[in-house]
Amino acid sequence: MERTASEPLLSCQGVDKYFGALAAVRDMTFDVFPGEALGIGGPNGAGKTTLFDVISGLNPATAGSITFDGRTITRATPDRTCQLGMARTFQLNAGFDTLSARENTLIAAYFGRHNRLVPGMRFDRETQRLADEAMEFVGLDEVAHEATQTLPVYHRKLLMVAGALATQPKMLLMDEPVGGLNPQEIDDVMALVRRLKERGLTIMLIEHVMRFLVRLSDRVLIMHHGEKIFEGSASGLVYDKTVVDVYLGEGSSRRLRHLLEDQPSPDEGAPGAP
Amino acid sequence: MFETGPNWRRDAAFGVVLIAVMIAIPFLGPSRYFIGQLTLFFIWATVVSQWNLVFGVAGIFSLAQMAIFAFGGFATGMMGLYLGISLWFALVLAGVGSILFSIIIGLACLRLRGPYVALLTLAIAQVMYLLIITDTACFYMEGVTCRNFTGGTRGLAKFGDFGFREMLGRREYLKGDYYLSLFLLVLATVFSFAIIRSPLGFAFRALRDNPEYGVSRGLNRFKYQLLVFAMSAFFTGLAGGVFAGHFRVIGANVLSLPLLLFLISMMVVGGLGRAWGPILGAALVMLADEGMKDFVEIRNMGYGALIVAIVVLLPQGAAGGLEQVWEWGRRQVLALWGGTGRLAARRGAAGEERRE
Ligand SMILES: Nc1ncnc2c1ncn2[C@@H]1O[C@H](COP(=O)(O)OP(=O)(O)OP(=O)(O)O)[C@@H](O)[C@H]1O
Ligand SMILES: [Mg+2]
Repeated sequence: MERTASEPLLSCQGVDKYFGALAAVRDMTFDVFPGEALGIGGPNGAGKTTLFDVISGLNPATAGSITFDGRTITRATPDRTCQLGMARTFQLNAGFDTLSARENTLIAAYFGRHNRLVPGMRFDRETQRLADEAMEFVGLDEVAHEATQTLPVYHRKLLMVAGALATQPKMLLMDEPVGGLNPQEIDDVMALVRRLKERGLTIMLIEHVMRFLVRLSDRVLIMHHGEKIFEGSASGLVYDKTVVDVYLGEGSSRRLRHLLEDQPSPDEGAPGAP
Repeated sequence: MFETGPNWRRDAAFGVVLIAVMIAIPFLGPSRYFIGQLTLFFIWATVVSQWNLVFGVAGIFSLAQMAIFAFGGFATGMMGLYLGISLWFALVLAGVGSILFSIIIGLACLRLRGPYVALLTLAIAQVMYLLIITDTACFYMEGVTCRNFTGGTRGLAKFGDFGFREMLGRREYLKGDYYLSLFLLVLATVFSFAIIRSPLGFAFRALRDNPEYGVSRGLNRFKYQLLVFAMSAFFTGLAGGVFAGHFRVIGANVLSLPLLLFLISMMVVGGLGRAWGPILGAALVMLADEGMKDFVEIRNMGYGALIVAIVVLLPQGAAGGLEQVWEWGRRQVLALWGGTGRLAARRGAAGEERRE
């Protein structure tokens, strides 16, 4: 990977987020390079979701600076960061519940790509094409006309990805994309993320399911109490004493080590047991 | 909805038939009372059609609609009275002024959510009400009579009308107001249909369903909230002006709570956020009101019961209920048609789940 040669797509420098006295994110500094997948792990309440909120503009940073694609976005609103090419999914199932699945994606395709000063009278062809493409890519074309609120959890997770893709992002932030899914569904989402990487999309993903995280991430970043306690390769993770102590525990780090040894390349091979 | 091909044609057909019937009614020799009630129906349905954009489609619990209506009415009357301009000209200016007035209210509501918006907008209407009925200062003298700037408790009058009395005579002038209000309702309804089914309508509904997710998909909440306040104000202000010109008087009573409830019940009965809701709701509630006219004691209870019944039994409102009947009927017909029916029926079933 010619990481050193290219500029980072996203760069966070000394980012803090305080809720009153609570430092939910503290002094986070890291880069994400084009085409890379950066995995974020850490215990509950570590500040992973808050980090996404800060980057995407939903909840602006208290201090520090964030640049994306050559622009400073530290104070940018979420609609703006979306239009600049950063799309995110949510930990909980978010969506426009009373609209159909396709309408959800149409809205993202129409408003998420660039600023609509004066919206038109109808969704143009290009918007419809992008929305249908995104629905097909994640495999939701069959349920496109169902009401969003009636969809099962798995479909709702995929719908968030479809909406994100329809905005034609450069970078995708996924917050626990497989939380609450069964092993088969986890494997399917894993295959989907691989296809996204093949398309050259830069990805940041938060996940507690470690086999998902280590298999898909080129690099891993572990947070604890708002701070970065580890940044490096997935294989280094299991040998890091702090990470094993505060997050993985002995048992799970041993299992993970086996998983990594069995499949030396994190980008191929059949998925094993969690 | 984007698959509006058949729906647009169906709705246009309904619309044309309804308009034709309404145009014909005055020629069938109805009573003056009937014409007067239909005129009021057009005016209320206009207001509800615009309120529905804010309250039903965008999901902002604003109760400011009657304040905007009053603004339009008083602005029309005052400009007619104090500036001596034609009421037609005053009406258009008042409509534009209503947009500004509504944007200010929208700005005040921006940081508030849910019930707080209702409280604030209700307070604005109440302040207007109190300012008018406590207005006792002499603004000008008419002979020996002292007149207030707002008309005070007596109401603002003597600003004239739209000239139909002069044009059509004392017996026929009501028809002028009738057609004017009908015209207003048609414009307002076409406007609201166009909004509801355009990307803008989807933006409003998206932000209603999930504001956080909406902004993360490129929607600017500030912009669209102000837009819906602005867009829903023009025809509401015009309706206020037409109301004033029709009755040749406008008073603080248009800001009263019972009238507000009367109009809310129209919106709820018709079906929140639904394109046909306001017209259906206004018609049903006015019919119910007509039926309860002789039982003054139970009238308010009657509304209450009606709202409760609709909310419990038919939460999608009359328009939602009719939509379901329509889809059911369509599926039956298509099933009879044969092979292609099954596919179409599946699409119909999906359509039924969705809101307008
Ligand atoms: N809006 C808020 N106001 C106050 N405190 C908040 C807010 N959002 C998050 N927090 C706090 O910030 C800390 C980090 O929360 P966050 O949701 O980012 O954790 P997380 O790493 O995503 O956890 P999980 O794995 O459970 O999703 C928690 O202590 C949480 O209570
Ligand atoms: Mg989280």
